[in-house]
Amino acid sequence: MYQSQHFEKYNLINGVWDEMYSENSIVRHHYKKVIEYLAQESPDDLGKKEELAKNLFMTQGITFTVYNSGEGIEKIFPFDIIPRVITSDEWCIIEKGIKQRLTALNLFLKDIYHNQFIVKDGIVPIDIIYSCPHFLREMYQLNVPYDIYVHIAGIDLIRDHDGTFYVLEDNLRTPSGVSYMLENREITKRLFPDLLPNCGVRSVTEYPSILYKNLLSLSPRQISNPTIVLLSPGIYNSAYFEHTTLARLMGVELVEGRDLVVNNHKVYMKTTTGLQQVDVIYRRVDDEFLDPLVFNPNSVLGVAGLMGAYRKGNVAIVNAVGNGVADDKATYIYVPDMIKYYLNEEPLLKNVPTHRLSNKDERDHVFKNINTMVVKKTNESGGYGMLMGHAATEEEIEKYKLEILKDPRNFIAQPTISLSAAPCYIGGALQPRRIDLRPYALCGPDGIEIVPGGLTRVALKEGSLVVNSSQGGGSKDTWVLA
Amino acid sequence: MPEFKIQHITKYSYDNFVRDSANNIILFPIVDIYQDVIKHDLVITGNPQVDTYVDYYGNEVGSFTNTEPHNQLIINSQLLVNTHARALPVDNMFASEQWNELFNLRYIVPYIDFLKQEYFEGLSELQPVVENERKTEDTPYHTALKFCQYVYKNFEYIKGVTTVETTLDEIWKIKAGVCQDFAHLLMVMLRLVGIPARYVSGYICPNRDGMRGEGATHAWAEAYIPGYGWLGIDPTNNCIANEMHVRLAVGRNFSDCSPVKGVYKGSANHKLEVSVSVGYEDNHLPEEKDIFTASTLPKTETTASRNSYARYMEIVQQQQQQQQ
Repeated sequence: MYQSQHFEKYNLINGVWDEMYSENSIVRHHYKKVIEYLAQESPDDLGKKEELAKNLFMTQGITFTVYNSGEGIEKIFPFDIIPRVITSDEWCIIEKGIKQRLTALNLFLKDIYHNQFIVKDGIVPIDIIYSCPHFLREMYQLNVPYDIYVHIAGIDLIRDHDGTFYVLEDNLRTPSGVSYMLENREITKRLFPDLLPNCGVRSVTEYPSILYKNLLSLSPRQISNPTIVLLSPGIYNSAYFEHTTLARLMGVELVEGRDLVVNNHKVYMKTTTGLQQVDVIYRRVDDEFLDPLVFNPNSVLGVAGLMGAYRKGNVAIVNAVGNGVADDKATYIYVPDMIKYYLNEEPLLKNVPTHRLSNKDERDHVFKNINTMVVKKTNESGGYGMLMGHAATEEEIEKYKLEILKDPRNFIAQPTISLSAAPCYIGGALQPRRIDLRPYALCGPDGIEIVPGGLTRVALKEGSLVVNSSQGGGSKDTWVLA
Repeated sequence: MPEFKIQHITKYSYDNFVRDSANNIILFPIVDIYQDVIKHDLVITGNPQVDTYVDYYGNEVGSFTNTEPHNQLIINSQLLVNTHARALPVDNMFASEQWNELFNLRYIVPYIDFLKQEYFEGLSELQPVVENERKTEDTPYHTALKFCQYVYKNFEYIKGVTTVETTLDEIWKIKAGVCQDFAHLLMVMLRLVGIPARYVSGYICPNRDGMRGEGATHAWAEAYIPGYGWLGIDPTNNCIANEMHVRLAVGRNFSDCSPVKGVYKGSANHKLEVSVSVGYEDNHLPEEKDIFTASTLPKTETTASRNSYARYMEIVQQQQQQQQ
């Protein structure tokens, strides 16, 4: 049907869900318009578009630092020009599933830092909570506005060989990447101006205004113009581009820890005209660095006394402090149980089967089948410290096993999930590459809102299953159809 | 029913002006049926507003800030406290029954926090000592007293030999320490056999013979005894902590209870002097006894970094460390 040479090299990967083709190499309905459009384009045109995209990323400074890559801090985030398309039916499941999950996770955090019913009732094992380094006793009995702990969540979804969506992990601390979702769309509008309205692609541009509305509603002072700041670690952070973009799009101040000071349990921003009281802090600094008085005393990124102001209710912090106990990969195992416990509902989105390595039987099972497993550290993110059993050498595996035995609580293992594949424009032709999806959910006093879209991350290397941006993955625009 | 007059002065002097200081103090005695506070005067340089809250362990914590440039911070806490002796454990339950009860507390809040022992290198050497000291027919109470004696006998009490940053490994090697090290060691031993143990900071009120730990804040441990509750044990003096010990705070370790901690901005070095004097209500306060310098006492404030390059690299590294 499509004789265009773009498609010649597209070989379906065995046993992998392909987003574009069904099993018989028939293009799925929702990809038809995109494919028809691409088929008309000459390879030269697509090449030019790819070049244009690269230039736009570079000139607009859309960067993501990959530490130790030796390329400096201004490295562009690799972008694939072919959009990933999601049907409205698929989106419906995702949206409902994430809302349900996030509702339960917020209830869980409130419970864990107050009554701990779920632990007393034996649903979540207590040792998981109390051995989690992100369970912050400083948050115990501290009340947060509207009992919302997770204001912004990035829930990572993947698709197994039959197309079923699974939650791979919850990011409830300071999830990053949303600015790339917004920028990818802006670039795509310039690459394929007609195609977006023709396909009926839903808009994602409301994200900053929804977030801003939520931040405003958290202000402890009932005044017309509360001060909202975005607290960034600084220019050396991989997501600094994102911090500047979000601050600009929302019209809030971009600050670093040294710009703030706490006096009498109130937070102030140092301005050229004196101190200005701060009401809401959207922070992109980890808990441990947030307040040197209470947490890491060597932190230069935080504000001394901030927790005191927070406890008094004089400032709102987004996301709340102490959320790491809920997105710990060992806690993850119990999220479906939380949904049943708090909401009395069946989970709409599945978890990937996960083994706790602190349990000896499960550990033995994992060690025996390590070639089919992915082993992860429970409190790391960004794909750091992972072992991909099928790709690792004997030596790497043995070394990793020793590390696991030192502190098994810190590790979980999951069977290697194949991840779905989507067409990417690589080397002048379309080729399938593995992808995941991180939609961004915003939780405010009015409820949970998810802009239809998200960040589709791509493992650009052929055969690779690692999509993390910090591990050299790229991204593509994500189209949710109306 | 002894009544004690306690004066606890913490004095920070900076060799240059500093600003934006934020401080937490845990200087409010625990109030329960064994301890009453009759009077508490707290005077702090600059008269800041002190806000208090109750932390996870039930301790009252005060917090205050000072944004103005200052070269001195003095916290003067004057207490009039009244203590009541508590009867010692009767200890008439079968040992096995008591150990069973402790075993069942493993996954119960709050005991779970007081049973977890962080790894240190001496653990493999301490394990056989613990096994050797403990006899199966011993009750937890007896075991705790034996361990207390072991620490008292095998470690030398040398004022100033360690700081709050000294690790258990170092203490284990030099076989010496101050009260907080003795308390930490006893806690490790108790936790190894499954007796929940917590750290206590406070004051020791001298009897006629004098006691170790006077002149500064004192520290000891509490062991959870079935049928009794938390029993204070002072390994520095090899005694039960009773009406001569005034409790300020409990926690998993020193850092949960540190009486005064703070951070500030500015490139100044600081000197810390702490003095504690205790007198009976009918007597005058004795003369201040000991002045400690910063090298021997809680060093919780950032000392000035003279290497600007190293500091810059540290900032870069911290910025990159932020996750997700």
